[in-house]
Amino acid sequence: MTARRVLILLLLAATPARAQQQGTGPTNPRLLPDISVVGDLIFDFSRRSTQEDGRRFSVREIELALQAAVDPYFRGDVFFGYSDVEGVAIEQAFLTATALPWQIEGRLGRFIMPFGKQNLTHRHDLHTIDYPYVIQRFLGEEGLKGTGLYASKVLSPFGFYQEVIVTAVDHLGELSDDLTPEEPANASLGGLGYMARLRNYWDLTPNANLELSASASTGRMAQPLDATGEINAVNARQSLLGVDLTYRWRPLQQGLYRSLIVQAEFMHQINESNPTLPEGVDPGAYLGPRENLNGAYLFARYQLSRRGHLGARGDLLDDPEADGRALRAASGYYEFFPSEFSKLLAGYERLWPEGQASQGRFIIQATFALGPHRPHPF
Amino acid sequence: MILQFTLVASLMAGPPAAPLRVVTSTTDLWDIARQVGGKRVVAKHISAGFQDPHFVEAKPSFVLDLQKADVWAYVGLDLEKGWAPVLLAGERIQKMALSATGNLDVSRVIRLLDVPSGNIDRSQGDVHPLGNPHYWLDPANARRIAKLFQDTYSSLDPEGASEYAANAAAFGARLDAAEAAWAPARARLKGKPIVAWHTSWRYLAEYTGVNIVGFMEPKPGVPPSPSHLSGLIQTVQRTGARVIVMEPWYDRRTADFVAGKTGASVLVLPPSVGGVKGLDDYVTLMKNAIESLSRAVP
Repeated sequence: MTARRVLILLLLAATPARAQQQGTGPTNPRLLPDISVVGDLIFDFSRRSTQEDGRRFSVREIELALQAAVDPYFRGDVFFGYSDVEGVAIEQAFLTATALPWQIEGRLGRFIMPFGKQNLTHRHDLHTIDYPYVIQRFLGEEGLKGTGLYASKVLSPFGFYQEVIVTAVDHLGELSDDLTPEEPANASLGGLGYMARLRNYWDLTPNANLELSASASTGRMAQPLDATGEINAVNARQSLLGVDLTYRWRPLQQGLYRSLIVQAEFMHQINESNPTLPEGVDPGAYLGPRENLNGAYLFARYQLSRRGHLGARGDLLDDPEADGRALRAASGYYEFFPSEFSKLLAGYERLWPEGQASQGRFIIQATFALGPHRPHPF
Repeated sequence: MILQFTLVASLMAGPPAAPLRVVTSTTDLWDIARQVGGKRVVAKHISAGFQDPHFVEAKPSFVLDLQKADVWAYVGLDLEKGWAPVLLAGERIQKMALSATGNLDVSRVIRLLDVPSGNIDRSQGDVHPLGNPHYWLDPANARRIAKLFQDTYSSLDPEGASEYAANAAAFGARLDAAEAAWAPARARLKGKPIVAWHTSWRYLAEYTGVNIVGFMEPKPGVPPSPSHLSGLIQTVQRTGARVIVMEPWYDRRTADFVAGKTGASVLVLPPSVGGVKGLDDYVTLMKNAIESLSRAVP
């Protein structure tokens, strides 16, 4: 069955048989899950298309979400992503345990990894066209997801909001079909991906608040070897430390028209410089990263009117895709919301890769949402 | 006699060792919750009275209040849909699960207005598929809300049942007296044409008999467009509406523009407790709304 047929059948199933009047019965008598679709359209007006598929006009992604309570013990959330480049992918699919003691939230399945701040936001919900470069290069172009276990606990031992999140997943980052180590990284428990995050949140005033959080992850990843045989990779440990700061200002009474977000993240990537190589392989054959890398961004967005926002971002990192050479970028954005369910965004970005000529890109993005009202990301 | 008995019984009962903790989404529910609860309840609210309850930031600090709460009371009908699910994320707060006694969708006891009868979609604006959620601006609904709190508290804290009954009766009695006092102002409003910004005022209009001839918003939640304002100006001139009623969180300049073209006046009227200084409880809120409107309408 094609993805399109699955989509059509799901949408048909979601059509309510009859509008229910308040007080005359349940509003969802068939116990259907919430079904929603988000479309992410890209129009690339750069000198040459900067998109992965080389197109100037493209449907970057369609996301289909199904969400409902499974039973008295679990809630289920499934997100499918469809794009011309990658086809259909299970973006997220997780059970959330709703009956754990001590108000612990537990998840099982595939979920967005709780590393940093913007990585937690779906790409189409960003206030920029793409993730900051430090996230694209250190975590993944579309952010970092993992499949495994997740647990979180909200605390306030010092009188303010704190949340501890820990995860254990099968692996960190994308698995490459081209890299074959002697054994998979997950062959031992030490090779799995582990992550922890501590959130700290303060209300500064009724109109302003601050979040300062720290994240850490570690895992073994396949890195390339200069080898011609079947074994062409070795598992090397890669760890990541991060700190993120978000300041929000939104006056309670004028909040429809004025708001400000200032956000910054810093990440430090620690690479194992001399991993244990297969017997007989020359140490010089290791082609993976040996140096530790740093990266950061600073983002700000100011609301000009009820529908219009102006934003800017600066990026600076040691680019792992360019042997750690510096990559600097600056971008500006104008966001326009016709309603809560549609968004138009125009962005211009300038990149200065070390040792190369600077490049510019101009992109317009349109996103739309169908289905039930989704909560606004905080 | 029954009231006297319950008052005596409640005085004898005294406050409980651990009061019930209630968190409400709005200040109006908060005020009724605390009036019915008396000393046996500690109530907090999430949105402020001068804040648009549709658009509240889901601040993590609210989660701490919800985790300790015995009751989460909300307006429902999707009013809080944009923010409450984030606070209850993962439904880790079992007491707040949809099936739990502590989950109080107040709309379930309300006789609703504006329930769509045909098919609906988002081309109609930010439409509420289950009905208009601004129902607290009708005293009959306030009595229903008070009864719901009384029943819920009594279920969770049976020892305080008589006290809750007495408090609910006292709230009803204050409302009866206030209604009698503002009856002349209410009578003056019957049939008078006004313009409203949002559908927040539909229940108040139903209660007072005032006639809303047009809305500043072309569709619920949609900001006014020049073409809509042009048509609205004609409507105001045709119907003789002299007042534009708006909530304190909207941009007054747009209402002033229409008023300037028509000779109408703009009345900024808080629809919630705490909307301005002095509007500290539900009865005062309603008194201010009816008397302000009555003074503004010629």
